[in-house]
Amino acid sequence: MSAPLLEVNNLQMHFPVREGLFLRARAFNRAVDGVSFNINPGETLGLVGESGCGKSTLGRCITRLYTPTGGSIHFAGQDITQMRARRLRPLRQDIQMIFQDPMESLNARHTVGDILEEPFIVHRIGDRLWRRKRVAELLNIVGLPARSATRFPFEFSGGQRQRIGIARAIALNPKLVICDEPVSALDVSIQSQILNLLVDLQREFNLAYLFIAHDLAVVKHVSDRVAIMYLGKIVETAASETLYREAAHPYTQSLIAAIPVPDPHRRAQREVLRGDVPSPINPPQGCSFHPRCPRAEPQCSATEPVLAPLADTHLAACHLLARNG
Amino acid sequence: MLNLTPQTRKKLRRFRQIKRGYYSFLILVGLSALLACGELLINSRALVVSYQGELYFPTYGDFHPGSDFGLDYQYETNYRELQARFAAADEGNWLLLPLVPYNPYENNAAGGVFRPQPPSAEAQHYLGTDTTSRDILARLFYGTRIALLFALGFTLSVYLIGIAIGCAMGYFGGVFDLALQRVIEIWSNVPFLYMVIIIFSVIPSTVAVPTRISILLLVMVLFSWTGMTYYMRTETYKEKARDYVAAARIIGASNTRIIFRHIMPNVLSTLITFMPFTVIAAISAITALDFLGFGLPVPTPSLGELLKQGTANLRTAPWIVISAFGTLVALLTLVTFIGEAIRESFDPKTFSVYR
Repeated sequence: MSAPLLEVNNLQMHFPVREGLFLRARAFNRAVDGVSFNINPGETLGLVGESGCGKSTLGRCITRLYTPTGGSIHFAGQDITQMRARRLRPLRQDIQMIFQDPMESLNARHTVGDILEEPFIVHRIGDRLWRRKRVAELLNIVGLPARSATRFPFEFSGGQRQRIGIARAIALNPKLVICDEPVSALDVSIQSQILNLLVDLQREFNLAYLFIAHDLAVVKHVSDRVAIMYLGKIVETAASETLYREAAHPYTQSLIAAIPVPDPHRRAQREVLRGDVPSPINPPQGCSFHPRCPRAEPQCSATEPVLAPLADTHLAACHLLARNG
Repeated sequence: MLNLTPQTRKKLRRFRQIKRGYYSFLILVGLSALLACGELLINSRALVVSYQGELYFPTYGDFHPGSDFGLDYQYETNYRELQARFAAADEGNWLLLPLVPYNPYENNAAGGVFRPQPPSAEAQHYLGTDTTSRDILARLFYGTRIALLFALGFTLSVYLIGIAIGCAMGYFGGVFDLALQRVIEIWSNVPFLYMVIIIFSVIPSTVAVPTRISILLLVMVLFSWTGMTYYMRTETYKEKARDYVAAARIIGASNTRIIFRHIMPNVLSTLITFMPFTVIAAISAITALDFLGFGLPVPTPSLGELLKQGTANLRTAPWIVISAFGTLVALLTLVTFIGEAIRESFDPKTFSVYR
């Protein structure tokens, strides 16, 4: 197999919680706390977790909207963890992002044409005429009429706006696209259209996706592999098929149990999770999931489990599994 | 080409629908046009002089000494006297004087005594004269022009400095923001009026009038830009955290591009709303300073100086205070109406009915 496109190693993003006259850091919000994974060219890694578990922060670290406080990110062999803005700029063409709320991520004062043209202007690609042509092409690729270019974002529906966001993300022919909950803000009927568009684009342009979502059902549709994140850490990762059939971690199991089944007669013996995600500023001792875990044991609150292989590519971080396996 | 977003067009349409503000705006624009070509309306120089078959246009440019028109002096021609002389001689020479044939600086002492003269159409002092026999209409007119120009310069400077510094504070944040905020807090506690009094008692009286006006403007701006930074700073903080800025950064846009293409246009529309009120504050401030005697240097025509004369001669020459006060009220009302209409039409929440 070829070298991975993206290698994330023990990545940490600790936000200081500052207070007082001199803004001394009183504590740290451990939004991302030691995450490692790889993404190969053309592959989709699904990243699933509840809100507040750090999955969006992880995406923003990889696009270097944030500078990570620890660990490393290698993209196509280059260390981009601390890279300066000037050197990073050419690499920006290869790593793009699709946002959750397309209304928020499109500048309401610019026309769709302005928005889609901007990547080319910033990277000084092509002249005015060429850019116009390219904008029309992009609109065509994402299934919007070319005349949309003169209109403003608010004139479009949510799904159409997300298509504009996607067109902007693929404008520079990136190798990796971070999809930060790209369908969460959309109607269910529109969700599948957008997901299909993303899958088609992946095939056509050989894109790699980091697909962030809080909904396992959505992720299942697009992902080759899935990583489950809880409180800044990956608790289980496996090939998509394996994960749905043989979920090992109690947290993953409860997430899968929460997927609605379209069968009114089925009375599920569901394990519904109680409580909220604990604060990442002051995470629980030991396994961070133990306060909510239905099968927690004394040692879970004492020592922290590490990701250990259950099978070839199936890893999970749980004391119970390590002992049984 | 003016490329307006639909939101901006909608705001302009709403502004036009608010009649009071829209008409005030039109009146002010008209007034500004009149003020801009004021020399053609109110001036001691003639518009056209026809002397021995030749045409002269003395309004703009160098002055014509009296000898140019067959008079026996080398200083500037007195066109009112010249008109009377032409009429008496009847040699085919003629001249056309402006509507009000006085400039704001000349003392047209009737009978050699400087005293306020009541309004008189016959003498063409339509609003009378002040205590040193200068035409009030001319002084009001040019006083308003200077006040408006001053307010405009003040507003533009305050906005430029306030926006630049506020935006930088909000965008770069951190220690820079923190340190500058403390500096601003200290700076805004320095008493402005004392500073003006001290500075102008130090400046020698030999300094030219335009320089003194510039110094006054500079001092006022230096003590006023801080208010602007508060709005600008918080608005920039707010916009900076939004996803469209993140999107621009991921594309690879530079800080400059993000600030000027993305953040500024989204922030400025709220700041435009304050602009008329800044103009009002500037006009009031300069008038108050003139009234106290620390404003525009004499003999610059000014509303505040006329108000001062008027209150001193309230019993003997009431026309001074009436006309000055009326002008000030009219001017401030116009700008206030415009300001209210702009605020109303730019407000995203249309909660009040204001027509």
